[in-house]
Amino acid sequence: MTMTAVPFADAGLPAVRVQRQTPSGRIALTLALAALVALVAMPWWASTGTIRWILELCCYLAVAQMWNLLAGYAGLVSVGQQAFMGAAGYALFVLAQTYGINPFLAVFLSLLVPAVLAVPTYFLLHRLEGPYFSIGTWVVAEVFRLVSTNLPLVNSGAGMSLRVMKDYSAFERNVAMSLLCATLLLVTLGGSYWLLRSRFGLALIAMRDNPVAAASQGVQVGRLRFLIYVAAAVGCGLAGAIYFMAQLRITPGSAFDPMWANLAIFIVMVGGIGSIEGVLIGTLIFFVADRWFGEYGASYFVVLGLMTLAVALYARTGIWGAIARRWDAPWFPIGRRLIDPQQGTKGETR
Amino acid sequence: MSAVLSTHGLVARYGDFQALYGVDTELGAGECVALIGANGAGKSTFLRAVMGLLPVAREMVRLDGEPVGGTAPDRMVQKGVAIVPEGRRLFTGMSVEDNLRVAIDQAARAAGKAGARAGGKGGWTLKRVHDLFPILAEKARTPVQSLSGGQQQMVAIGRALLCQPRVLLCDEISLGLAPKVIREIYAALPEIRAAGTAVILVEQDVGLAQSASDRLYCMLEGRVTLAGKSAEISRAQIGEAYFGVGHAVA
Repeated sequence: MTMTAVPFADAGLPAVRVQRQTPSGRIALTLALAALVALVAMPWWASTGTIRWILELCCYLAVAQMWNLLAGYAGLVSVGQQAFMGAAGYALFVLAQTYGINPFLAVFLSLLVPAVLAVPTYFLLHRLEGPYFSIGTWVVAEVFRLVSTNLPLVNSGAGMSLRVMKDYSAFERNVAMSLLCATLLLVTLGGSYWLLRSRFGLALIAMRDNPVAAASQGVQVGRLRFLIYVAAAVGCGLAGAIYFMAQLRITPGSAFDPMWANLAIFIVMVGGIGSIEGVLIGTLIFFVADRWFGEYGASYFVVLGLMTLAVALYARTGIWGAIARRWDAPWFPIGRRLIDPQQGTKGETR
Repeated sequence: MSAVLSTHGLVARYGDFQALYGVDTELGAGECVALIGANGAGKSTFLRAVMGLLPVAREMVRLDGEPVGGTAPDRMVQKGVAIVPEGRRLFTGMSVEDNLRVAIDQAARAAGKAGARAGGKGGWTLKRVHDLFPILAEKARTPVQSLSGGQQQMVAIGRALLCQPRVLLCDEISLGLAPKVIREIYAALPEIRAAGTAVILVEQDVGLAQSASDRLYCMLEGRVTLAGKSAEISRAQIGEAYFGVGHAVA
Protein backbone atom coordinates (compact mmCIF):
# COMPACT_ATOMS: atom_id res chain seq x y z
CA MET A 1 0.00 0.00 0.00
CA THR A 2 1.47 3.29 -1.01
CA MET A 3 -1.09 5.72 0.33
CA THR A 4 1.15 8.29 1.88
CA ALA A 5 -0.06 11.78 1.25
CA VAL A 6 -3.27 12.82 -0.41
CA PRO A 7 -4.08 16.48 -1.07
CA PHE A 8 -6.98 17.66 1.02
CA ALA A 9 -9.52 19.44 -1.15
CA ASP A 10 -12.13 21.00 1.12
CA ALA A 11 -12.66 24.70 0.73
CA GLY A 12 -12.31 27.01 3.68
CA LEU A 13 -9.63 25.05 5.46
CA PRO A 14 -6.00 25.91 5.87
CA ALA A 15 -3.65 24.21 3.44
CA VAL A 16 -3.14 20.80 4.98
CA ARG A 17 -2.07 17.43 3.70
CA VAL A 18 -3.57 14.15 4.81
CA GLN A 19 -0.93 11.67 5.82
CA ARG A 20 -1.95 8.07 6.19
CA GLN A 21 1.39 6.44 6.94
CA THR A 22 3.74 7.23 9.81
CA PRO A 23 7.44 6.42 10.42
CA SER A 24 6.50 3.77 12.98
CA GLY A 25 3.96 2.39 10.52
CA ARG A 26 6.57 2.19 7.80
CA ILE A 27 8.96 0.31 10.09
CA ALA A 28 6.18 -2.09 11.13
CA LEU A 29 5.13 -2.65 7.53
CA THR A 30 8.73 -3.42 6.57
CA LEU A 31 9.02 -5.85 9.48
CA ALA A 32 5.69 -7.44 8.53
CA LEU A 33 6.89 -7.96 4.96
CA ALA A 34 10.16 -9.42 6.25
CA ALA A 35 8.17 -11.77 8.52
CA LEU A 36 6.05 -12.82 5.57
CA VAL A 37 9.15 -13.61 3.50
CA ALA A 38 10.61 -15.54 6.44
CA LEU A 39 7.36 -17.50 6.70
CA VAL A 40 7.42 -18.45 3.04
CA ALA A 41 11.09 -19.45 3.33
CA MET A 42 10.51 -21.63 6.41
CA PRO A 43 11.26 -24.99 4.73
CA TRP A 44 14.80 -23.76 4.11
CA TRP A 45 15.58 -22.55 7.61
CA ALA A 46 13.23 -24.26 10.06
CA SER A 47 12.73 -27.83 11.17
CA THR A 48 9.38 -29.57 10.71
CA GLY A 49 8.78 -29.13 14.45
CA THR A 50 9.40 -25.38 14.26
CA ILE A 51 7.11 -25.07 11.28
CA ARG A 52 4.38 -26.86 13.24
CA TRP A 53 4.48 -24.42 16.14
CA ILE A 54 4.74 -21.39 13.87
CA LEU A 55 1.68 -22.70 12.05
CA GLU A 56 -0.15 -22.91 15.35
CA LEU A 57 0.92 -19.36 16.15
CA CYS A 58 -0.41 -18.18 12.78
CA CYS A 59 -3.75 -19.88 13.47
CA TYR A 60 -3.98 -18.16 16.87
CA LEU A 61 -3.25 -14.80 15.22
CA ALA A 62 -5.85 -15.36 12.52
CA VAL A 63 -8.61 -16.56 14.84
CA ALA A 64 -7.90 -13.76 17.32
CA GLN A 65 -7.98 -11.11 14.62
CA MET A 66 -11.28 -12.46 13.30
CA TRP A 67 -12.70 -12.27 16.80
CA ASN A 68 -11.30 -8.75 17.11
CA LEU A 69 -13.08 -7.74 13.93
CA LEU A 70 -16.31 -9.27 15.20
CA ALA A 71 -16.22 -8.05 18.79
CA GLY A 72 -14.01 -4.99 18.48
CA TYR A 73 -15.53 -3.38 15.42
CA ALA A 74 -18.89 -5.00 14.71
CA GLY A 75 -19.87 -5.43 18.36
CA LEU A 76 -20.69 -9.10 17.76
CA VAL A 77 -19.31 -11.06 20.70
CA SER A 78 -19.18 -14.57 19.30
CA VAL A 79 -17.98 -17.52 21.34
CA GLY A 80 -18.75 -19.94 18.55
CA GLN A 81 -16.27 -19.22 15.77
CA GLN A 82 -14.99 -22.80 16.19
CA ALA A 83 -18.18 -23.79 14.33
CA PHE A 84 -16.67 -22.41 11.13
CA MET A 85 -13.17 -23.70 11.83
CA GLY A 86 -14.53 -27.21 12.26
CA ALA A 87 -16.86 -26.92 9.28
CA ALA A 88 -14.02 -25.89 6.98
CA GLY A 89 -11.72 -28.53 8.49
CA TYR A 90 -14.28 -31.25 7.87
CA ALA A 91 -14.96 -29.93 4.36
CA LEU A 92 -11.24 -30.20 3.60
CA PHE A 93 -11.09 -33.80 4.84
CA VAL A 94 -14.18 -34.83 2.88
CA LEU A 95 -13.02 -33.13 -0.32
CA ALA A 96 -9.45 -34.42 -0.16
CA GLN A 97 -9.91 -37.81 1.48
CA THR A 98 -13.35 -38.91 0.27
CA TYR A 99 -13.47 -37.23 -3.12
CA GLY A 100 -9.77 -37.26 -3.92
CA ILE A 101 -9.41 -33.58 -4.70
CA ASN A 102 -5.88 -32.17 -4.35
CA PRO A 103 -5.69 -31.23 -0.63
CA PHE A 104 -3.97 -27.90 -1.29
CA LEU A 105 -6.76 -26.93 -3.66
CA ALA A 106 -9.32 -28.37 -1.24
CA VAL A 107 -8.15 -25.95 1.48
CA PHE A 108 -9.55 -23.08 -0.55
CA LEU A 109 -12.61 -24.94 -1.84
CA SER A 110 -13.50 -25.83 1.75
CA LEU A 111 -13.93 -22.12 2.53
CA LEU A 112 -17.23 -22.18 0.67
CA VAL A 113 -18.71 -24.24 3.50
CA PRO A 114 -18.23 -21.69 6.32
CA ALA A 115 -19.23 -18.89 3.94
CA VAL A 116 -22.49 -20.63 3.05
CA LEU A 117 -23.20 -21.73 6.62
CA ALA A 118 -22.56 -18.24 7.99
CA VAL A 119 -25.49 -16.74 6.08
CA PRO A 120 -28.40 -18.66 7.66
CA THR A 121 -26.55 -18.65 11.00
CA TYR A 122 -26.38 -14.88 10.96
CA PHE A 123 -30.04 -14.49 10.10
CA LEU A 124 -30.88 -16.85 12.93
CA LEU A 125 -28.71 -15.02 15.47
CA HIS A 126 -28.66 -11.33 14.50
CA ARG A 127 -31.87 -10.48 16.32
CA LEU A 128 -30.31 -11.54 19.60
CA GLU A 129 -28.69 -8.79 21.66
CA GLY A 130 -25.39 -8.87 23.56
CA PRO A 131 -25.01 -11.95 25.77
CA TYR A 132 -27.93 -13.73 24.08
CA PHE A 133 -26.10 -13.47 20.77
CA SER A 134 -22.97 -14.93 22.38
CA ILE A 135 -24.87 -17.86 23.83
CA GLY A 136 -26.54 -18.37 20.46
CA THR A 137 -23.19 -18.64 18.68
CA TRP A 138 -22.06 -21.23 21.21
CA VAL A 139 -25.25 -23.21 20.70
CA VAL A 140 -24.69 -23.15 16.94
CA ALA A 141 -21.15 -24.50 17.41
CA GLU A 142 -22.51 -27.28 19.64
CA VAL A 143 -25.16 -28.11 17.03
CA PHE A 144 -22.43 -28.36 14.40
CA ARG A 145 -20.52 -30.71 16.71
CA LEU A 146 -23.56 -32.89 17.31
CA VAL A 147 -24.39 -33.02 13.59
CA SER A 148 -20.83 -34.06 12.73
CA THR A 149 -20.97 -36.72 15.46
CA ASN A 150 -23.97 -38.28 13.71
CA LEU A 151 -23.13 -37.68 10.07
CA PRO A 152 -21.89 -40.78 8.21
CA LEU A 153 -20.36 -38.53 5.50
CA VAL A 154 -17.73 -37.41 8.03
CA ASN A 155 -17.37 -40.86 9.63
CA SER A 156 -19.60 -39.81 12.56
CA GLY A 157 -18.00 -39.63 15.99
CA ALA A 158 -14.91 -41.59 15.00
CA GLY A 159 -13.43 -38.68 13.07
CA MET A 160 -11.32 -38.70 9.90
CA SER A 161 -7.67 -38.92 8.97
CA LEU A 162 -6.03 -37.16 6.05
CA ARG A 163 -4.18 -40.16 4.65
CA VAL A 164 -3.75 -38.58 1.21
CA MET A 165 -0.99 -36.44 2.68
CA LYS A 166 1.22 -39.53 2.50
CA ASP A 167 1.49 -38.88 -1.25
CA TYR A 168 3.62 -35.84 -0.54
CA SER A 169 7.17 -35.77 0.81
CA ALA A 170 7.89 -34.08 4.13
CA PHE A 171 9.61 -31.24 2.29
CA GLU A 172 6.66 -30.72 -0.05
CA ARG A 173 4.31 -30.62 2.92
CA ASN A 174 6.55 -28.09 4.66
CA VAL A 175 6.57 -25.86 1.61
CA ALA A 176 2.78 -26.05 1.38
CA MET A 177 2.32 -25.35 5.10
CA SER A 178 4.64 -22.35 4.92
CA LEU A 179 2.79 -20.90 1.96
CA LEU A 180 -0.55 -21.53 3.64
CA CYS A 181 0.67 -19.78 6.82
CA ALA A 182 1.72 -16.74 4.81
CA THR A 183 -1.61 -16.73 2.96
CA LEU A 184 -3.54 -17.04 6.22
CA LEU A 185 -1.84 -14.00 7.75
CA LEU A 186 -2.08 -12.03 4.53
CA VAL A 187 -5.81 -12.70 4.31
CA THR A 188 -6.76 -12.21 7.96
CA LEU A 189 -4.35 -9.55 9.26
CA GLY A 190 -3.56 -7.92 5.92
CA GLY A 191 -7.21 -8.07 4.91
CA SER A 192 -8.35 -6.42 8.14
CA TYR A 193 -5.76 -3.69 7.76
CA TRP A 194 -6.86 -3.07 4.20
CA LEU A 195 -10.52 -3.02 5.27
CA LEU A 196 -9.87 -0.49 8.02
CA ARG A 197 -8.00 1.78 5.63
CA SER A 198 -10.58 1.42 2.87
CA ARG A 199 -13.66 3.58 2.44
CA PHE A 200 -15.42 1.25 4.90
CA GLY A 201 -12.78 2.09 7.48
CA LEU A 202 -14.29 5.27 8.87
CA ALA A 203 -17.73 3.67 9.02
CA LEU A 204 -16.28 0.66 10.85
CA ILE A 205 -14.45 2.84 13.37
CA ALA A 206 -17.62 4.88 13.86
CA MET A 207 -19.48 1.64 14.48
CA ARG A 208 -16.83 0.56 16.97
CA ASP A 209 -17.10 3.86 18.84
CA ASN A 210 -20.89 4.02 18.88
CA PRO A 211 -23.11 1.76 16.77
CA VAL A 212 -26.33 3.66 17.49
CA ALA A 213 -24.83 6.99 16.51
CA ALA A 214 -23.21 5.40 13.46
CA ALA A 215 -26.59 4.10 12.30
CA SER A 216 -28.06 7.55 12.92
CA GLN A 217 -25.41 8.99 10.57
CA GLY A 218 -26.46 6.66 7.78
CA VAL A 219 -23.89 3.92 8.37
CA GLN A 220 -25.52 0.65 7.36
CA VAL A 221 -24.69 -1.06 10.62
CA GLY A 222 -26.79 -4.15 9.90
CA ARG A 223 -25.24 -4.74 6.51
CA LEU A 224 -21.68 -4.15 7.70
CA ARG A 225 -22.23 -6.53 10.62
CA PHE A 226 -23.47 -9.22 8.24
CA LEU A 227 -20.48 -8.78 5.93
CA ILE A 228 -18.06 -8.92 8.85
CA TYR A 229 -19.76 -12.01 10.25
CA VAL A 230 -19.39 -13.83 6.93
CA ALA A 231 -15.81 -12.59 6.45
CA ALA A 232 -14.88 -13.74 9.97
CA ALA A 233 -16.45 -17.14 9.30
CA VAL A 234 -14.31 -17.51 6.18
CA GLY A 235 -11.18 -16.28 7.99
CA CYS A 236 -11.74 -18.74 10.84
CA GLY A 237 -12.52 -21.42 8.26
CA LEU A 238 -9.17 -20.87 6.57
CA ALA A 239 -7.39 -21.10 9.93
CA GLY A 240 -9.34 -24.29 10.72
CA ALA A 241 -8.62 -25.94 7.39
CA ILE A 242 -4.89 -25.20 7.69
CA TYR A 243 -4.76 -26.22 11.35
CA PHE A 244 -6.45 -29.58 10.78
CA MET A 245 -4.45 -30.23 7.63
CA ALA A 246 -1.34 -29.97 9.79
CA GLN A 247 -2.94 -32.17 12.46
CA LEU A 248 -3.79 -34.78 9.79
CA ARG A 249 -6.74 -35.82 11.93
CA ILE A 250 -10.10 -34.33 12.83
CA THR A 251 -12.76 -35.41 15.31
CA PRO A 252 -15.98 -33.64 16.36
CA GLY A 253 -14.41 -32.83 19.72
CA SER A 254 -11.28 -31.22 18.30
CA ALA A 255 -13.02 -29.58 15.34
CA PHE A 256 -15.56 -27.68 17.43
CA ASP A 257 -13.37 -27.10 20.48
CA PRO A 258 -14.53 -24.06 22.52
CA MET A 259 -10.86 -23.59 23.47
CA TRP A 260 -10.57 -21.46 20.31
CA ALA A 261 -13.13 -19.00 21.62
CA ASN A 262 -11.31 -18.82 24.97
CA LEU A 263 -7.96 -18.10 23.41
CA ALA A 264 -9.37 -15.51 21.01
CA ILE A 265 -11.04 -13.66 23.88
CA PHE A 266 -7.88 -13.82 26.00
CA ILE A 267 -5.63 -12.61 23.19
CA VAL A 268 -7.84 -9.73 22.13
CA MET A 269 -8.85 -8.55 25.61
CA VAL A 270 -5.33 -8.66 27.04
CA GLY A 271 -3.61 -7.39 23.90
CA GLY A 272 -6.06 -4.57 23.26
CA ILE A 273 -9.45 -4.76 21.60
CA GLY A 274 -10.10 -2.86 18.39
CA SER A 275 -6.52 -2.83 17.18
CA ILE A 276 -4.32 -5.13 15.11
CA GLU A 277 -1.32 -4.32 17.32
CA GLY A 278 -3.21 -5.69 20.32
CA VAL A 279 -3.77 -9.00 18.58
CA LEU A 280 -0.06 -9.36 17.86
CA ILE A 281 0.87 -8.58 21.47
CA GLY A 282 -1.86 -10.79 22.91
CA THR A 283 -0.93 -13.72 20.68
CA LEU A 284 2.71 -13.55 21.72
CA ILE A 285 1.74 -13.46 25.41
CA PHE A 286 -0.67 -16.34 25.01
CA PHE A 287 1.81 -18.38 23.03
CA VAL A 288 4.61 -17.94 25.54
CA ALA A 289 2.25 -18.60 28.46
CA ASP A 290 0.93 -21.70 26.75
CA ARG A 291 4.44 -23.09 26.24
CA TRP A 292 5.64 -22.33 29.75
CA PHE A 293 2.59 -22.89 31.91
CA GLY A 294 0.48 -25.22 29.78
CA GLU A 295 1.62 -28.16 31.91
CA TYR A 296 -0.26 -26.79 34.93
CA GLY A 297 -3.55 -27.62 33.20
CA ALA A 298 -6.66 -26.29 34.88
CA SER A 299 -4.90 -23.84 37.20
CA TYR A 300 -3.18 -22.31 34.16
CA PHE A 301 -6.58 -21.69 32.56
CA VAL A 302 -7.83 -20.15 35.79
CA VAL A 303 -4.91 -17.70 35.70
CA LEU A 304 -5.61 -16.83 32.05
CA GLY A 305 -9.27 -16.30 32.91
CA LEU A 306 -8.43 -14.05 35.86
CA MET A 307 -6.04 -12.04 33.69
CA THR A 308 -8.76 -11.50 31.09
CA LEU A 309 -11.20 -10.49 33.82
CA ALA A 310 -8.73 -8.04 35.36
CA VAL A 311 -8.07 -6.41 32.00
CA ALA A 312 -11.80 -6.24 31.22
CA LEU A 313 -12.46 -4.54 34.55
CA TYR A 314 -9.48 -2.25 35.04
CA ALA A 315 -7.76 -1.72 31.69
CA ARG A 316 -10.38 -2.11 29.02
CA THR A 317 -8.10 -1.07 26.19
CA GLY A 318 -5.58 -3.79 27.05
CA ILE A 319 -1.83 -3.60 26.76
CA TRP A 320 -1.87 -1.85 23.41
CA GLY A 321 -4.27 0.75 24.82
CA ALA A 322 -1.79 1.53 27.60
CA ILE A 323 1.09 1.75 25.12
CA ALA A 324 -0.86 3.93 22.69
CA ARG A 325 -1.69 6.39 25.46
CA ARG A 326 1.99 6.84 26.26
CA TRP A 327 3.60 6.72 22.83
CA ASP A 328 1.91 7.90 19.70
CA ALA A 329 3.53 5.39 17.35
CA PRO A 330 0.98 3.03 15.79
CA TRP A 331 2.35 0.00 13.98
CA PHE A 332 -0.63 -0.14 11.68
CA PRO A 333 -1.97 3.40 11.39
CA ILE A 334 -5.53 3.44 10.13
CA GLY A 335 -6.30 7.09 10.75
CA ARG A 336 -5.68 10.20 8.78
CA ARG A 337 -3.17 12.66 10.11
CA LEU A 338 -3.51 16.21 8.97
CA ILE A 339 -0.25 17.99 8.44
CA ASP A 340 -0.37 21.74 8.72
CA PRO A 341 2.87 23.30 7.46
CA GLN A 342 2.59 26.06 10.07
CA GLN A 343 1.69 24.02 13.11
CA GLY A 344 3.04 20.54 12.58
CA THR A 345 0.98 17.41 13.15
CA LYS A 346 -2.21 17.54 15.15
CA GLY A 347 -4.98 15.15 15.93
CA GLU A 348 -5.64 11.72 14.61
CA THR A 349 -8.21 9.01 14.46
CA ARG A 350 -7.18 5.88 16.23
CA MET B 1 -50.72 22.32 6.23
CA SER B 2 -48.69 19.73 4.36
CA ALA B 3 -46.90 17.74 7.01
CA VAL B 4 -43.39 16.58 6.17
CA LEU B 5 -43.40 14.28 9.17
CA SER B 6 -46.37 13.01 11.13
CA THR B 7 -47.08 10.35 13.70
CA HIS B 8 -50.39 8.53 14.01
CA GLY B 9 -51.23 6.76 17.24
CA LEU B 10 -47.52 6.16 17.81
CA VAL B 11 -47.01 3.38 20.33
CA ALA B 12 -43.57 2.30 21.53
CA ARG B 13 -42.42 -0.03 24.24
CA TYR B 14 -39.22 -1.21 25.87
CA GLY B 15 -39.90 -4.89 26.40
CA ASP B 16 -42.96 -5.06 28.64
CA PHE B 17 -42.88 -1.40 29.49
CA GLN B 18 -45.06 0.75 27.27
CA ALA B 19 -43.53 4.21 26.92
CA LEU B 20 -45.78 5.86 24.31
CA TYR B 21 -49.58 5.58 24.20
CA GLY B 22 -50.85 6.72 20.83
CA VAL B 23 -48.98 9.94 20.11
CA ASP B 24 -50.29 12.09 17.23
CA THR B 25 -48.03 14.86 15.99
CA GLU B 26 -47.40 16.82 12.83
CA LEU B 27 -44.39 18.71 11.58
CA GLY B 28 -44.84 21.10 8.66
CA ALA B 29 -42.11 21.76 6.11
CA GLY B 30 -39.57 24.17 7.56
CA GLU B 31 -41.42 24.30 10.85
CA CYS B 32 -39.85 24.11 14.29
CA VAL B 33 -41.81 22.14 16.82
CA ALA B 34 -40.81 21.74 20.45
CA LEU B 35 -41.56 18.70 22.54
CA ILE B 36 -41.56 19.37 26.26
CA GLY B 37 -42.35 17.33 29.30
CA ALA B 38 -40.92 16.02 32.53
CA ASN B 39 -38.33 13.25 32.77
CA GLY B 40 -39.83 9.99 31.65
CA ALA B 41 -42.65 11.63 29.72
CA GLY B 42 -41.54 9.84 26.56
CA LYS B 43 -39.88 12.66 24.63
CA SER B 44 -36.63 10.86 23.82
CA THR B 45 -38.57 7.67 23.19
CA PHE B 46 -40.67 9.58 20.68
CA LEU B 47 -37.54 10.65 18.76
CA ARG B 48 -36.05 7.17 18.93
CA ALA B 49 -39.28 5.67 17.63
CA VAL B 50 -39.45 8.15 14.75
CA MET B 51 -35.80 7.54 13.87
CA GLY B 52 -36.29 3.78 13.69
CA LEU B 53 -34.19 3.09 16.76
CA LEU B 54 -37.21 1.41 18.36
CA PRO B 55 -39.55 -1.00 16.60
CA VAL B 56 -42.87 0.61 15.67
CA ALA B 57 -45.63 -0.24 13.20
CA ARG B 58 -45.21 1.06 9.66
CA GLU B 59 -48.37 3.20 9.59
CA MET B 60 -47.49 5.04 12.79
CA VAL B 61 -44.84 7.31 11.24
CA ARG B 62 -45.26 9.04 7.92
CA LEU B 63 -42.70 11.02 5.97
CA ASP B 64 -44.32 13.09 3.20
CA GLY B 65 -47.36 10.87 3.67
CA GLU B 66 -45.37 7.71 3.05
CA PRO B 67 -45.52 5.18 5.91
CA VAL B 68 -41.97 4.73 7.23
CA GLY B 69 -42.46 3.49 10.82
CA GLY B 70 -39.84 0.95 11.89
CA THR B 71 -37.51 1.74 8.99
CA ALA B 72 -33.86 1.16 9.96
CA PRO B 73 -32.09 4.36 11.06
CA ASP B 74 -29.61 4.31 8.20
CA ARG B 75 -32.52 4.20 5.75
CA MET B 76 -34.21 7.04 7.63
CA VAL B 77 -31.06 9.11 7.13
CA GLN B 78 -31.24 8.41 3.41
CA LYS B 79 -34.87 9.50 3.43
CA GLY B 80 -33.87 12.81 4.99
CA VAL B 81 -34.24 12.46 8.75
CA ALA B 82 -31.25 13.06 11.03
CA ILE B 83 -30.93 13.00 14.79
CA VAL B 84 -28.77 14.84 17.29
CA PRO B 85 -28.90 12.13 19.92
CA GLU B 86 -29.20 12.63 23.64
CA GLY B 87 -25.76 12.68 25.23
CA ARG B 88 -24.28 13.57 21.82
CA ARG B 89 -22.88 10.09 21.15
CA LEU B 90 -19.83 11.26 19.22
CA PHE B 91 -17.28 8.84 17.83
CA THR B 92 -14.84 9.25 20.67
CA GLY B 93 -11.82 7.78 18.94
CA MET B 94 -11.93 10.36 16.17
CA SER B 95 -11.03 13.96 15.52
CA VAL B 96 -13.74 16.58 14.97
CA GLU B 97 -13.09 16.41 11.25
CA ASP B 98 -13.45 12.63 11.05
CA ASN B 99 -16.67 12.70 13.07
CA LEU B 100 -18.14 15.01 10.46
CA ARG B 101 -16.60 12.99 7.67
CA VAL B 102 -18.55 9.86 8.65
CA ALA B 103 -21.75 11.70 7.79
CA ILE B 104 -20.25 13.15 4.60
CA ASP B 105 -19.07 9.71 3.46
CA GLN B 106 -22.42 8.11 4.10
CA ALA B 107 -24.36 10.95 2.48
CA ALA B 108 -22.09 10.73 -0.58
CA ARG B 109 -22.57 6.98 -0.74
CA ALA B 110 -26.36 7.32 -0.47
CA ALA B 111 -26.41 10.08 -3.07
CA GLY B 112 -24.30 7.99 -5.42
CA LYS B 113 -26.72 5.14 -5.03
CA ALA B 114 -30.00 6.96 -5.23
CA GLY B 115 -28.95 9.60 -7.73
CA ALA B 116 -30.70 12.88 -7.05
CA ARG B 117 -32.72 12.14 -3.95
CA ALA B 118 -36.09 13.80 -3.88
CA GLY B 119 -35.97 16.86 -1.65
CA GLY B 120 -33.39 16.97 1.10
CA LYS B 121 -31.19 19.41 -0.76
CA GLY B 122 -29.94 20.94 2.43
CA GLY B 123 -26.69 21.67 0.66
CA TRP B 124 -24.73 21.34 3.88
CA THR B 125 -21.01 21.23 3.33
CA LEU B 126 -18.11 21.15 5.73
CA LYS B 127 -17.60 24.82 4.98
CA ARG B 128 -21.17 25.75 5.86
CA VAL B 129 -20.94 23.80 9.11
CA HIS B 130 -17.73 25.66 9.85
CA ASP B 131 -19.46 28.97 9.10
CA LEU B 132 -22.25 28.00 11.47
CA PHE B 133 -19.87 26.93 14.25
CA PRO B 134 -16.47 28.58 13.54
CA ILE B 135 -14.88 26.81 16.49
CA LEU B 136 -15.20 23.49 14.63
CA ALA B 137 -12.90 24.76 11.88
CA GLU B 138 -10.41 25.86 14.48
CA LYS B 139 -10.55 22.51 16.28
CA ALA B 140 -10.87 20.34 13.17
CA ARG B 141 -7.98 18.10 14.11
CA THR B 142 -8.63 17.91 17.82
CA PRO B 143 -9.87 14.62 19.25
CA VAL B 144 -13.53 15.15 20.18
CA GLN B 145 -12.92 13.88 23.69
CA SER B 146 -10.89 16.95 24.56
CA LEU B 147 -13.63 19.38 23.49
CA SER B 148 -15.93 21.14 25.93
CA GLY B 149 -19.53 19.97 26.20
CA GLY B 150 -20.80 22.82 24.08
CA GLN B 151 -18.24 22.20 21.36
CA GLN B 152 -19.11 18.51 21.38
CA GLN B 153 -22.77 19.43 20.96
CA MET B 154 -21.79 21.55 17.94
CA VAL B 155 -20.01 18.55 16.44
CA ALA B 156 -23.13 16.45 17.01
CA ILE B 157 -25.32 19.06 15.31
CA GLY B 158 -22.86 19.54 12.46
CA ARG B 159 -22.67 15.80 11.95
CA ALA B 160 -26.45 15.56 11.78
CA LEU B 161 -26.65 18.47 9.31
CA LEU B 162 -24.13 16.81 7.00
CA CYS B 163 -26.63 13.96 6.62
CA GLN B 164 -28.55 16.60 4.58
CA PRO B 165 -31.77 16.26 6.54
CA ARG B 166 -35.17 17.69 5.71
CA VAL B 167 -36.15 16.85 9.26
CA LEU B 168 -33.73 17.34 12.15
CA LEU B 169 -34.49 15.69 15.47
CA CYS B 170 -32.70 17.35 18.41
CA ASP B 171 -32.65 15.54 21.72
CA GLU B 172 -31.96 17.85 24.68
CA ILE B 173 -29.21 19.83 23.01
CA SER B 174 -29.03 22.25 25.95
CA LEU B 175 -28.55 19.57 28.58
CA GLY B 176 -25.59 20.22 30.87
CA LEU B 177 -24.42 23.35 29.07
CA ALA B 178 -23.81 26.86 30.35
CA PRO B 179 -26.50 29.45 29.46
CA LYS B 180 -24.07 31.35 27.25
CA VAL B 181 -23.23 28.21 25.28
CA ILE B 182 -26.91 27.31 24.99
CA ARG B 183 -27.58 30.72 23.46
CA GLU B 184 -24.74 30.17 20.98
CA ILE B 185 -26.16 26.83 19.92
CA TYR B 186 -29.73 28.06 19.68
CA ALA B 187 -28.51 30.98 17.60
CA ALA B 188 -27.73 28.45 14.88
CA LEU B 189 -31.36 27.40 14.68
CA PRO B 190 -32.61 30.15 12.31
CA GLU B 191 -29.79 29.36 9.88
CA ILE B 192 -30.68 25.67 9.96
CA ARG B 193 -34.34 26.44 9.33
CA ALA B 194 -33.42 28.86 6.55
CA ALA B 195 -31.92 25.89 4.72
CA GLY B 196 -35.44 24.45 4.62
CA THR B 197 -34.93 21.94 7.40
CA ALA B 198 -37.82 21.28 9.75
CA VAL B 199 -36.82 20.76 13.36
CA ILE B 200 -38.23 18.84 16.30
CA LEU B 201 -36.68 20.07 19.53
CA VAL B 202 -36.90 17.96 22.63
CA GLU B 203 -36.19 20.37 25.44
CA GLN B 204 -36.28 20.40 29.24
CA ASP B 205 -36.09 24.15 29.43
CA VAL B 206 -39.68 25.23 28.82
CA GLY B 207 -38.88 28.90 28.28
CA LEU B 208 -36.22 28.09 25.74
CA ALA B 209 -38.49 25.64 23.94
CA GLN B 210 -41.31 28.13 23.80
CA SER B 211 -39.20 30.96 22.42
CA ALA B 212 -37.39 28.85 19.85
CA SER B 213 -40.37 26.99 18.37
CA ASP B 214 -43.44 27.76 16.24
CA ARG B 215 -45.59 25.17 17.97
CA LEU B 216 -45.14 22.91 20.91
CA TYR B 217 -46.40 19.63 22.23
CA CYS B 218 -46.35 18.86 25.91
CA MET B 219 -46.10 15.23 26.89
CA LEU B 220 -46.98 13.43 30.10
CA GLU B 221 -46.64 9.72 30.76
CA GLY B 222 -46.41 8.80 27.09
CA ARG B 223 -49.33 10.95 25.91
CA VAL B 224 -49.65 14.41 24.39
CA THR B 225 -51.44 16.54 26.95
CA LEU B 226 -51.18 19.90 25.24
CA ALA B 227 -50.57 21.14 21.71
CA GLY B 228 -50.65 24.60 20.27
CA LYS B 229 -48.84 27.65 18.96
CA SER B 230 -45.90 28.40 21.21
CA ALA B 231 -46.63 32.11 21.36
CA GLU B 232 -50.25 31.59 22.39
CA ILE B 233 -49.84 29.05 25.15
CA SER B 234 -49.71 30.37 28.68
CA ARG B 235 -47.38 29.18 31.40
CA ALA B 236 -50.38 28.02 33.43
CA GLN B 237 -51.58 25.82 30.58
CA ILE B 238 -48.12 24.34 30.24
CA GLY B 239 -47.87 23.74 33.96
CA GLU B 240 -51.14 21.88 33.94
CA ALA B 241 -50.15 19.73 30.98
CA TYR B 242 -46.61 19.24 32.26
CA PHE B 243 -47.52 17.91 35.68
CA GLY B 244 -51.04 16.74 35.04
CA VAL B 245 -52.44 18.85 37.86
CA GLY B 246 -54.80 21.80 37.75
CA HIS B 247 -53.21 24.61 39.70
CA ALA B 248 -49.93 23.70 41.34
CA VAL B 249 -47.63 25.72 39.14
CA ALA B 250 -46.60 29.31 39.41
